[in-house]
Amino acid sequence: MRLEKCWFCSSTIYPGHGIQFVRNDAKIFRFCRSKCHKNFKMKRNPRKVKWTKAYRRLHGKDMTQDSTFEFERKRNRPERYDRNVTEMTLKAIKKIDKIRVTREVQHHKTRMKGKKAVEQEAAIKELENSINLVKAPAALQQGSEITLPKIKVKVSQSQAVGERMEE
Amino acid sequence: MSAFLSSKLSTVGRSLIRSFGNDLSGAKVPYEMMTKLSNQYLFLQQQRTFIQMRTRLKVVDNSGAKRVMCIQALKGRRGARLGDTIIASVKEAQPHGKVKKGDVVYGVVVRAAMQRSRCDGSEIKFDDNAVVLVNKQGEPIGTRIYGPVPHELRKKKHVKILTLAEHIA
Repeated sequence: MRLEKCWFCSSTIYPGHGIQFVRNDAKIFRFCRSKCHKNFKMKRNPRKVKWTKAYRRLHGKDMTQDSTFEFERKRNRPERYDRNVTEMTLKAIKKIDKIRVTREVQHHKTRMKGKKAVEQEAAIKELENSINLVKAPAALQQGSEITLPKIKVKVSQSQAVGERMEE
Repeated sequence: MSAFLSSKLSTVGRSLIRSFGNDLSGAKVPYEMMTKLSNQYLFLQQQRTFIQMRTRLKVVDNSGAKRVMCIQALKGRRGARLGDTIIASVKEAQPHGKVKKGDVVYGVVVRAAMQRSRCDGSEIKFDDNAVVLVNKQGEPIGTRIYGPVPHELRKKKHVKILTLAEHIA
């Protein structure tokens, strides 16, 4: 049994899943599901479709270069069965997977670094630019506070409970 | 298919023209746009079907025939699929080949555009409909086979075709 990769989204195709299309030059296109097959028929480029692995790799969204990826490789020679080797491999799979996950988390963290500051900056800028939508310019001149004063609203406790019950 | 398309579209176009009165120039633009759009749509959504009577198939061996027309599927009520045997009539043939135009021959469908499920439940489909000519005993007439063939032929006892094939998919 061989676990192939989908031509479009590069996810794993387990036995009995998906469809494969053989072009006349004997190139085989395997698809994990009809979604990928349909996208292929629409002649879409997987590098331009955002949800595919190819796009994510190309745009630096996912970790691409890592030593953990080198274990997963296509081997054309069948390995002779050895009980010890199998056992070790099964143990190693879990370990390698764990390492990969932690590294991916780290990658995501470094990628998202500084995003919060950028978002904050954008929010401040928007507030400055469009404060006139919430506060009239004349009122702004009187009190130069850019934020609105907090208004306390009384909500009766019984009503709130009643509403929740209705939901 | 194109005939069906044009007939369907012409009715649409006519109704459009009627709705516009006799303003032909006004009706022409959406009509052309529609043909383009629906053409593309149909190209994507074309229904692949069984190989049945009057299906034209390519011959991918050196028996001398170029194109054959299916006149009978030997298995299946609805028609032949990938790996099935059909009876066909030769429509185009090269001169001095083993078969001539008009011959009635047996053939094994080695490529079909309609998908067929494999033994593990996944599916396979090909670019075109292609056939390899065989005699009544199931031995290929030609000595070479072009293009990919599916490994399911082994199950159908056409091992000779598999050994001659360039690629096995």
